[in-house]
Amino acid sequence: MHSQTSVQKFSLMHWWLSSLLVLMVTLGSSSVLAEQAGNKVSPIAVPNPGADLWNEVRQRNAESNGRTQIRGTDSAEFMRVSGEEFRDYRLSLLIPYAPYFLVGMLVLLAATFIVKGRIKIPDGRSGQVIKRFETFDRVVHWYVAILFIFLALTGLLLLLGRYAVLPVFGKEAFGLIASACKEGHNLFGPPFLVGIVLMAMRFAAKNIPNMVDVKWLLKAGGAFGGHPQAGYFNAGEKIWFWLVTIIGLGLCVSGLILLFPNFEQGREYLQWALVAHGVGAVVLITLSFGHMYVGSVGMEGSLDSMSTGYVDSNWAKSHHDLWYQEVMQRQSADNPKSS
Amino acid sequence: MSVSEFVEGPLWYFSVAVFVVGVLWRLLVMLSRGYQKNYSEPRASAIAGAIGTNITRFVPHKQFMPRIKLTVYAGYLFHVGLFALLIFAAPHMEFLRDHVVGFEWVVMPHWLFLITAEMAFIGLLILWLHRIMHPVTRMITTKGDHLASILTFIVMLTGCLALARSYESLRILHLFSCELLLIYFPFSMLMHTFTVFFSRGYMGAHFGRRGVNI
Amino acid sequence: MSVDMNMFQGFLQQIKGLADMAQATDFSDEERVSRAKAVFAAKLDTPKAVDMESCVHCGLCAEACHFYVTTEDARYTPIHKLDLLKRFYRREKGAFGWFYRMTTPDITAQELEQWQELVYDSCTECGRCGIVCPMGIDIASMVNVMRQGLAEAGLIPAELRAVMQEQGGRGTVFGAGPDMLKALVEEIRAEGLDVPLDKEKADILVLSSTLDIQLYKDVLRSTVKVMNQLGVNWTIHTCAFEGANFGMLSGYEQVQKMASERITQEAIKCGAKTVIVPECGHAYPAMRWEGANEHGGPLPFEVLAVSEFLGREIGSGRLQVKALSGDKVVTYHDPCKVGRHGGVLDEPRTVLKALGVDLREMDSHGTMNYCCGGGAGVFLINRASELRQKVFELKSQQVDDTGAGALVTSCGSCRINFMGAAAKANWQKPIHSLMELVGENLA
Repeated sequence: MHSQTSVQKFSLMHWWLSSLLVLMVTLGSSSVLAEQAGNKVSPIAVPNPGADLWNEVRQRNAESNGRTQIRGTDSAEFMRVSGEEFRDYRLSLLIPYAPYFLVGMLVLLAATFIVKGRIKIPDGRSGQVIKRFETFDRVVHWYVAILFIFLALTGLLLLLGRYAVLPVFGKEAFGLIASACKEGHNLFGPPFLVGIVLMAMRFAAKNIPNMVDVKWLLKAGGAFGGHPQAGYFNAGEKIWFWLVTIIGLGLCVSGLILLFPNFEQGREYLQWALVAHGVGAVVLITLSFGHMYVGSVGMEGSLDSMSTGYVDSNWAKSHHDLWYQEVMQRQSADNPKSS
Repeated sequence: MSVSEFVEGPLWYFSVAVFVVGVLWRLLVMLSRGYQKNYSEPRASAIAGAIGTNITRFVPHKQFMPRIKLTVYAGYLFHVGLFALLIFAAPHMEFLRDHVVGFEWVVMPHWLFLITAEMAFIGLLILWLHRIMHPVTRMITTKGDHLASILTFIVMLTGCLALARSYESLRILHLFSCELLLIYFPFSMLMHTFTVFFSRGYMGAHFGRRGVNI
Repeated sequence: MSVDMNMFQGFLQQIKGLADMAQATDFSDEERVSRAKAVFAAKLDTPKAVDMESCVHCGLCAEACHFYVTTEDARYTPIHKLDLLKRFYRREKGAFGWFYRMTTPDITAQELEQWQELVYDSCTECGRCGIVCPMGIDIASMVNVMRQGLAEAGLIPAELRAVMQEQGGRGTVFGAGPDMLKALVEEIRAEGLDVPLDKEKADILVLSSTLDIQLYKDVLRSTVKVMNQLGVNWTIHTCAFEGANFGMLSGYEQVQKMASERITQEAIKCGAKTVIVPECGHAYPAMRWEGANEHGGPLPFEVLAVSEFLGREIGSGRLQVKALSGDKVVTYHDPCKVGRHGGVLDEPRTVLKALGVDLREMDSHGTMNYCCGGGAGVFLINRASELRQKVFELKSQQVDDTGAGALVTSCGSCRINFMGAAAKANWQKPIHSLMELVGENLA
């Protein structure tokens, strides 16, 4: 008898463990069978001669004291139960739900655009521009953005490709694509870390929250109660900055743990790293769609800031009025004769 | 003939030929325009200046650094990473040994290969982004500059994708992109690889002759 | 030492009216392009071809240029000034011309006209861009080639054209002819100083300039005092005294050759072993580095910048000076053509040391010096006055940052450029001439 879920092709060790499981099932551990397969099978009252052995091996209840001549972290562990839990989480939670998050956000944004359309600059463009981002700011932003998109695409392929891409390209081609994506994903991780660190250093001081941000949030950024005040960055942007920095760093750290298993981190760490990495990635990618939306089609004039570095003064006046006032004051201080 | 055989066979020989002949021809034409005779009394040695400037120009004067930091750091990350990769990465050394020079040399450990690859990617990406974001470079950049940057990036990317060395087609893709780069090389700004020593040299000679170390 | 401020204002007025004095040159568009190309082709030797091939469009040259740094206007990017030359070379002289003719447009007369502003108004050929270039491209020298091409195509800016035509025609600059020199010599003689004018034979031929003869007369006075103090066999000639070379500045090589050959021939005639170039920036390379080439052979005499000469004489002890009185905290502005392009960097400092000054170097000094903003004739171009003013803000800030009470330099055009901009900016610090300081403090 085979379990209802398809038998995954893992490495030799996992295959051996899976075979053991099948063996256990066929020896009549009926409750285990019911749990795994979700099928109700009437228990067969056949005593399992190896029950004690397997209980100990599974180390479900006892402290494990396995010995082995094989050197290495975790090599004295005969069978990892949490591995099954991890596999379960990955196959029944992460993989099935990730597409809902990702596609769901895209649908939400599409609906927003259909309903609200592009939010125009109040009073239209003035034609006068103010400098908002230096060259370095824009270089760092697009550096992180490009790497993020590359890592997201390769990462999603590694997570979902077996279900979404393999059926299209077939096994041979998919093997090649997956290998390429794995190498690409692994190599571009550290450069992404460099980008996140540079970006955090550059913008952290401008993203410290204050009372203006609280008021902005209470008005939901202008969804109700008229357009709230905002400084150089509004609360929404500050939240996004800290999400990117913290989750981004989390992705990098978990990624590094996974990239370099040469530091005796055991499978427990690697599994948790995978959980953090997977969940963090899905969350960040989902939210990034919102960021990309607002920064391009969602709001008129916002893309200018990151592409040219300059923004229309009416855009600044309506969305970042406190910053706009500061800039105007500084300009009149520099040029007392001109207004 | 399969795609693999074509890329490893006739296209490889063609691309090397275009590269070698193209580079030599372009250098020859450049160096054969003659010299305007200089009858003025030199103050110091022009040759010493030529050699000196070739070396000192590697380190920008600290007066300029605040304004040029990003380009200098990214530029060195890219170039140092690239040269380390090209010459001291195991797969490249094996390729050069088997197809070009016939002898071998010591290579980097794998982890250093990865680090130099990442350095090169970081440098190239930052340089290209700076090129399109900075008003000066945005104005003076030509399509050829973009083509050279993107082609170099593709060569590096295909190399990275084939890093596992498990799939022949990924390796062929990398080799193919290298061949495209070799063919484009003599017609592009990548010629600076060879012309830099001459341009620095003539600058150094011009000023060295006048007794100025620049 | 005093500068006649009426004379100074008069000079500024003259400069304003220069453009009207120029004779027009009218060529058809095709003629303009073919004449420019002929010059480009003749001037593109191997070192320049190498430079044409080597640019990677990194943009660092802009970060060294005083015009870009003070305006952040990308149009002033130095290598951009050479774009027409580059395209011509790639299409018609370099390898794979067939490839470039397909991918690069030909240069047009309209572009030649547009480039006039880039290679004249907004470039003083100071050479700072060449120092930062990672490829070592000598942009300044090639801007001069661009000027030569534009000059042949009849596109010299009016003010420079007017003065060049005057020098090419009457042989004078700003009307400073033999009579004016004689008048000043008489003035100086009347003060009790001996001036050996028009000697048949002499060891040293001293040059002067229109600026010194009309405006900075104390420079010539000091020169006379110093030469007499040294007791050398020297002279100054009414038919060959003008150091300024407006053929070189405008790019019109015929007049460049004419002007430098006049000096060379006179120096040969009087058997001079040394020619001393006055306090005038480009006059030094015009004789020291280009004079022999215009002559077609090595010069049979040594060419020294006056600051170079003073440095040698004071350094060897042949000339004694006493310490300055009054405010001694000064800074020194190296004229680009004498310092960075000329190689005369240590000698002025030897002189200043002997004068007992407290020399505070600007952040950018010596070979790294920022141009005054008026070099290569730019101080005459009226259109460029706003640009020059912006550069002055940069230079005056550098001077102020040193804490110096005065600025010393050894070039008349730098001096008049500084004075004009200082008046507009209400910047009060005195601007001294090195020669004058020596002449007034002889021991």
